[in-house]
Order: sequence, then structure tokens, then C-alpha cells
Amino acid sequence: MTETATISSPPSAPPAVPAPVLENLAARFRPGGLCLVLLRNDGTIAYQDTASNLFYQRYALPMIQYPDAVSGLTERIAALTSNSPIEVWNVLPGVVLSAFPYVERRQLMGVMLLVGKSTNFKLAEDVIRVCGRLGLDALWLNQQAEELPLYPDETIQRQARLLLGMIRDQLRLSSLEQELDSLSGQLANTYEELSLIYQISSGMRINRTAKDFFKQACLDVMGVMNVRGMGVALLNNEQKQEPVIYGSLSLPPGKIHRLTDDLTRILIERKSPLLVNDLRGDKTFSWLADHARQLLAVPLQRQEQVLGCLFAIDKETNEFDSVDSKLLNSIANESAIYLENAMLFEGVHGLMMGLLHSLTSAVDAKDAYTCGHSERVALIARRLAQEIHLSEHEVERIYMAGLLHDVGKIGVPEAVLQKPGKLTPEEFDQMKKHPEIGARILQDIREIKDIIPGVLYHHERFDGKGYPTGLAAENIPVMGRILCLADCFDAMTSNRTYRKALPLEVALIEIRRCSGTQFDPRLAEAFIKINCDEFRALLTNHQEQTRKIAELQQGVRAPI
Amino acid sequence: MSERTILVADDETHILHVVSLKLRNAGFRVITARDGAEALEMAQQEHPDLIITDYHMPQLSGLELCQRLKQDESTSKIPAIMLTARGYHLEPHDTEQSGILRMISKPFSPRQLLATVNEVLEGVAA
Repeated sequence: MTETATISSPPSAPPAVPAPVLENLAARFRPGGLCLVLLRNDGTIAYQDTASNLFYQRYALPMIQYPDAVSGLTERIAALTSNSPIEVWNVLPGVVLSAFPYVERRQLMGVMLLVGKSTNFKLAEDVIRVCGRLGLDALWLNQQAEELPLYPDETIQRQARLLLGMIRDQLRLSSLEQELDSLSGQLANTYEELSLIYQISSGMRINRTAKDFFKQACLDVMGVMNVRGMGVALLNNEQKQEPVIYGSLSLPPGKIHRLTDDLTRILIERKSPLLVNDLRGDKTFSWLADHARQLLAVPLQRQEQVLGCLFAIDKETNEFDSVDSKLLNSIANESAIYLENAMLFEGVHGLMMGLLHSLTSAVDAKDAYTCGHSERVALIARRLAQEIHLSEHEVERIYMAGLLHDVGKIGVPEAVLQKPGKLTPEEFDQMKKHPEIGARILQDIREIKDIIPGVLYHHERFDGKGYPTGLAAENIPVMGRILCLADCFDAMTSNRTYRKALPLEVALIEIRRCSGTQFDPRLAEAFIKINCDEFRALLTNHQEQTRKIAELQQGVRAPI
Repeated sequence: MSERTILVADDETHILHVVSLKLRNAGFRVITARDGAEALEMAQQEHPDLIITDYHMPQLSGLELCQRLKQDESTSKIPAIMLTARGYHLEPHDTEQSGILRMISKPFSPRQLLATVNEVLEGVAA
């Protein structure tokens, strides 16, 4: 961000005093008839007051610039150290010099000179000789010099002391300014980090897939960090996520695996960022040198447990530094929180779905003939919900409601459920209680409260002649209307004690016939539009699965 | 192209420093104000090419500042970028009578701010 200040400059480089500062100082001493000069360590002039009296520009400064051997000026300059006090030199004819070392960070950076007209200036032999050497008219010089005051040693020394104080103040000020810029630069990096973390954490919706989340995070980081590739590898055992690299870098899949395997192995051990700015010279990653130059990797970890890693490859402009590593580490820490939550969520969700399926099987087991009915109704209802473009969330809730729609049958005697013949009115009344029993069973589970309408109203009819409430038309919640259709369709197309399964085509004709009486006509229309083969595939698929599960169960039972 | 001047107004000093540095490094001339009233005065005197202002400021809010500048013929064409707290939304009719072209919410990315500045200036030039 800011240039780092050089600790020491080579002797010929100009001293670090900014030109405007020197101009400003020179202007303060010019009215008093003094000329400011800054020499480099080798005696050459780094700065001179170009607006000073011609006495200096034509006469004094050339003598300083090309000192003759007798004056001893070169030796005096060379003898100055960073600790030298202010000295006054009367070595040039008619000129007095006050000199002190210009020091920065305890290094001698040059020599400050305040040049004045000496009290012994007169048109004498020595001055005339110098004028001759410099090609100046001595009388003209005398005229120029008349405007200038004479500077006794102690006066010019006092002025030099003043100058020294001013320089110190100026330097302090400019170093403070530099420090402020450097602080602002660091702060800007922190802002960058903060805004990135904010952006990433606002994408931390728990029901988002890990792949989606990390893709976005990688793209966000790439926007800030300017890297060629950015990748993620997760050690999730449940659903082994393939490692990916985003960006312009492309690696063959085998190499991506090798890279992420190496990285996770190292990061599990090390638990802190890994920064390699020269892949060629690295013993683990030299094989990657054909594809990339630099690598920065950080672990995704929660409570010492490494869940995976984030890595960046090849900074576009320069090398990876501690700022990058800190930034990527913060992102990894944030992401690990998301990852842990997502894993917990996945676990809890899996547990809940498992429990729902068990509950469903328990219900279906009460009546061998309806085996798999709930699962099939769930699948059919889901397909219909998709057909009418409900949201993804609603579609999933309808699937769940399908699974549980008959859960109330737990409360209906098996004798009634499994009775082969026609039910008596009393038995039918018992049967008709199952939607309400189901709703009661589920009402205390907060997480699935929203599917209760599906359970409670799946025996309502569009014409209002259904049960348990007799609601009609749009007053029946849509979940109930969808489940009613799916339930009847599955009942018709399954074998029952009293009849064989109807062909799908026949069942669909029946649905068309009952559209507007039993079924919501709009839903019935959408349902009929779904291709028969699609249902067939859906149901065969399900049958296949249940058969396999049954075989497995048989296999387990066999030895007993 | 002559050096463009940007006026940055915010009562939070650290933001002034970060934004100034970023803009100076990008070659802009930057002038700063610590409240809306000071910003108004500076804008009227210096006629900057762009104003970046915080919304929440003592004396005069960023929105009021931009509305006042819009009313004054000599400053009505100056485009503005407004910084706001996260989650704070201005309605379109609020910004209608002001030169506010973009809103950036804090915490913001200085790089993105610079990109937005360039976009706005290019848009104005076009």
C-alpha cells in the first residue's frame, strides 16, 4: 500500500527530505540574506536555494561545488559524523558556512549548510582571484554582495540552530504523516477484510449447499485478493465433496486430488496457514511448479478439528504475504462456523427424515396391503406440486405431508384396517377419525406443524362432501387437495383385498370423471397432463427399492 | 486530463483517512470535511468533481447536503456517492432531489469504493 521507507540510502541518492520542505525552509532564511544548501555525503549538492542572491549562485555555490584543495572544505565535510555539532567554517574567501549533519534514523544522510556573507568580505586579493577563476567581474560581485548583511560566526551559528530545530519539526511532521498513511493503509486492508467477511457471512444460510456457499466465498475472495485460482477441499465423510478450484487456473482432476490430499494432510498436522512463495523449491509441492508459482492454504477448523481447507494459487501481481494469509484465515474461520452448522443441520435433518420414514413404515406395516402407500403418495404429491410450480420449500413440505398423511391410522384398530369386506357404519366412523388423530399426533412437533393441513384435510372433497370438516373448494388448504388426489390415485393403482390394481390410464380417466366433485378441477387438470410413463417410472422405481430393502431384511432374518 | 478533485465528508476520522489515502494513491486530489455544513461550504468553494458523503453526520445529514447542493445552480451537477449503515435503505424519492448516484453500505470495501468512483466519473463524463 505505502512504500516502505528505506533505512539507509546509497551515498549518491538524494537525501529523503522532501523538496517542498527544503523550499519552505530556504524561503524562511532567504530574506535574512542566507542561502540554504544540502550536500550529499560525498559533498555534491543535493539541494540549493535557486532563488538566492546571485552572490551565492555565481560565487559561493560554485566554490562549494568545486572546492579547491587548499580550502580544506572537502576534508571538513568528510569529517562530519551523525553526532557532530553545528560548526562554523571560514574556509572560503568572503563566505561563512554553518554546517551540521543531516541525520535520519541515526544515519548520516547529508550535510546541511547555511551560507552567509562573511564579516571579512572585501574586494581583496583572494576574492578577486576566485572571481578570475570563475570568470566573474569582481566589481559586479561586490555590488551583489552589498545587499547582503554580514554574518559574524555566532550569528550564523544561531541561525543554523534555528534551522536545525525547524528541520527536526518538519521531519517529525512528515514521519507522522507517513505513519498516518501507513496506518490508513492497514486500516483499508482491515476494511477490505471486514467487508468480505460480512459479505460471506450474509451468505451463510444453513440450507444452502456447502458447494454453493464455498463457490460464492471463493469468488468473493478472488475479487479482493487477485489470485489465479481459489479452491476448497472438504473432509466431509458423509457426502464426499469433490475438491474444486475456481478461477483461471486449470489443473487435471488427478492433480487437484493430489494437491488437496497433500494440503489437508499437512494442515491437519499444522493447524495454521501454509504459505509457499516458491513452489519449485518446496519439497512437498515442487511437482506443482509446472502449473503454478505460489500457494497459500488455510485449514477450515472448529475446536481443533480440521474439516477441510481453503487455498489460493498464484497472486497476480506479487507474492502472498501475511496480510493475505491473515485474510484467508479469517475467511476460513467464518466458513468453518458455517460448515459446522451445516453439518449439524444435515445430521439433524437426516435424523428427522429417518424418524419420519420409520413412523411411516410403522403405519404401513399395520396393513400389509397398503405397504409402501405413504411413500408412493409422497412421491406422487411431490410430482404434482412441482407440476403446479410451487416453491422448492413447499414441494418438500408436501412430500413430508405425503409421508405422514396416514399416521393417524396408528389409532385405528387393525381389525378395521385389515378387514377384507365392506366396513360397517361404525367401523367406517372409526376409520374416518384417522386424519384428526394424525393431526393430533403431529401437533406438538413444532418443525412440522406446517404439514398438518395436509394430514387433516386429505379426505376432504372439493364439493364439500368429504371428512372430517366438510370444507369445500378453495377453503380446503392446497396441501390437503393435492394429497387427496395423490392418495386416491395410489389407492386405485394398487392391489386391494377386494380388487386388483387398476391400470394407470383407467385411474386417470377416473380422476377426470371426479374433477370438480371429489377433486380440485385445476389440480386434476395439471395431474392428467403429467405423462403416464413418468408415474409408472416413479412407482416402479419405488417398488424396486422396497423390494431390495425387503430382500435385505429377509437376508438378515434367514439364519435365525 | 487535469487532476480531479473529490470531496469526502464523514464525521468518522478513520473513514476520512482510509478513503483519502485510497483516492490519493489513485491520483485524485482529495479534500475532506468532518460534517455536512463544512462539506457544503467546501463544495461551494471548490466545486469538486465528485462528493463521497456519509449519511449520518452532525449539523447537516449527507442527504440534506446533497439536496442543498442540487438546489444551488453552481453545484447542482456534482455527482455524489452516499455511504450508509448496513441495512439502511433510502427510497428512490429521497434521492430524487439530490445528486446521489450510488449508495454504498458500511462496512465497505475500499477497492469497491474506488471502482464505484471511477464508474461514476466515467458515467458523468460520457
